[in-house]
Amino acid sequence: MDDHLTGILSNIGVISFVALSAYLLLLTGEISFGQQAFFAIGAYTAGIVTAMWQLPFWLGLGAGAAAGGAAALFVGLPTLRLHGLQFAIATLAFAEAVRILFELFRYQVVRAGEPVGPNGIEGFRNIRYIFEHDVSATQFMLIIYGLLGMTLFGFFLLERSRLGVAFRMIGQDGLLAAAQGVPVFRVKLMAACLAGAIAGLGGGLYAHLTTYVEPAIFDVMLGVHSLAYGLIGGLGTAFGPLLGVVIDIGLLESTRWFAGYRMIVFGGLVAVLLIVRPRGLLDERLVHRIRRLVSRRPPPAPTNAAVLGEEPS
Amino acid sequence: MIPFIQTTLDGVMVGSSYGLLALGFALIFGVMRRLNLSYGPSIMVGAYLGTLLYIQFGAPTYVVAIVAVAGSVMAGVYVERLCFAPLGVGAGVASMVSSFAIWMQLEQASLLMLPRHSYPFPSLTSGELLSVGPLVVRPDYLIMLAAMLAITAALHLLLYRTRFGLGLRAIIENSVAASLSGIDVRSTMLKAFALASAIGGVAGFLVLSANQQVTAMLGMWATLKGLIAMMIGGLGSIPGAIVGGLVLGVIEVHSQTLFGPQVRDLAAYGVLFVLLVLRPGGIFGTAAVSESAAHRGGDRWTTT
Repeated sequence: MDDHLTGILSNIGVISFVALSAYLLLLTGEISFGQQAFFAIGAYTAGIVTAMWQLPFWLGLGAGAAAGGAAALFVGLPTLRLHGLQFAIATLAFAEAVRILFELFRYQVVRAGEPVGPNGIEGFRNIRYIFEHDVSATQFMLIIYGLLGMTLFGFFLLERSRLGVAFRMIGQDGLLAAAQGVPVFRVKLMAACLAGAIAGLGGGLYAHLTTYVEPAIFDVMLGVHSLAYGLIGGLGTAFGPLLGVVIDIGLLESTRWFAGYRMIVFGGLVAVLLIVRPRGLLDERLVHRIRRLVSRRPPPAPTNAAVLGEEPS
Repeated sequence: MIPFIQTTLDGVMVGSSYGLLALGFALIFGVMRRLNLSYGPSIMVGAYLGTLLYIQFGAPTYVVAIVAVAGSVMAGVYVERLCFAPLGVGAGVASMVSSFAIWMQLEQASLLMLPRHSYPFPSLTSGELLSVGPLVVRPDYLIMLAAMLAITAALHLLLYRTRFGLGLRAIIENSVAASLSGIDVRSTMLKAFALASAIGGVAGFLVLSANQQVTAMLGMWATLKGLIAMMIGGLGSIPGAIVGGLVLGVIEVHSQTLFGPQVRDLAAYGVLFVLLVLRPGGIFGTAAVSESAAHRGGDRWTTT
């Protein structure tokens, strides 16, 4: 496998984590413009653990995910009582504040005669654990996809659990879910916390993949992109956001077919797609059909409203 | 005391540009209950068209102004047709993401037109400072403040003294009932959207001529500042937009003088975050907005 392809695939894998993180919150009906903040927190934390404290890689990743989850819990407590737009803007404000704080954040130690560590707006260079420990690009890609696979398996279990059902119930109608005895706030907080941890894990991988992070990477664009991935790919299954990432990074960014016009093509594609399929390519209806084909059980005929969450007109 | 008053005055002046941006935002949000992220990039398209004429053909300032506003309106109508009209009332999220997609389109189109990071923009004044007693003001910011007040007054007359305004207020109150009483909801919404984009175009032109340059950051800057000012003031409220803009300007300029340029934005986001948590409806109360939202069957943002 050549380096270019490995690079693209690794990139797709890492960005998928942020997309999954935004998707998880979308399931509960909340739009977050701020998942990039947890991605950034994870990246910086993992980088500090491996490059500065010289601790093992897995510890760095774990610390990144934990920091992401903890930060999400911290933000979720005051903001999850807000709704819709207010929640979206509060997460945006938080994420931008985090980005600016990283611009001001300086913490360096000397390693092998060179200063290592976050250096404000200059960013955090030389997160070289992967090179120092002779992990090849292909091996690292396999690590990324291994973790992504585990995360997806987690989503698969979640969709079959009571918690997953509670997520979707709240996403459909929070009031109704509360009336059914779902502790809405606690469940949402759990979703936010999980989403933060997933983004933090992705951030840790990202920092080690590129060996270099700077605050400018984690701007609003990343956050809104990751939100858009779920909506293009589909909200019916966790493969939806992955499909979105593949379409954007795999098809548009990495090939040179649309050089200079990438955003025009991607933007137009998304806009038209949302008119045709407001809940993305792999929406609940399609996923349900596929499941039915696979299981070959004669299902109870579901009514449109129950399966799709379409509004009665 | 004098430096403090001077800084506050500077803040009000900067804030008037935020207020202008927020006015257009609030108008769209007030009517549609949906967020148009492409608002800033639409302004950018107009501004870039004007700049293109200015650089290539040395177009006079008034032509640049007209083109900037017209271009912004054109881009705004394109956004409305593609992201808002075809998606039903309940599709708040889809509209917002769709408008973000068009943001990328408009921004790239602008950059294809003028690829460098920044270009000169014609100024309205000679740039001399006016002194009022011990205080100084920049005349181009005075024009901005005057424009903001004039546009607010005109908007007020339009909303409360014309048939179009009546229709618009009826839609804000209840779009189904408005449509049943014979108001053409779609065309009124399109007109409101075009009007908001025109206000944005004016704001963009005035800000750029005060800065005497246009940069590639314009689109994101205009969307973010307009959005923050609107959220501080109160969702979809016209007086809220003005107050929110001024408050944002004063906070920004004061924190910049005290702590430097990076803290400027940090303070703005910090205030926004705290305000949202403590008082989600913004300074201008929640009553009007949340009540009318409740009439529409709750917060449409949570259902698609």
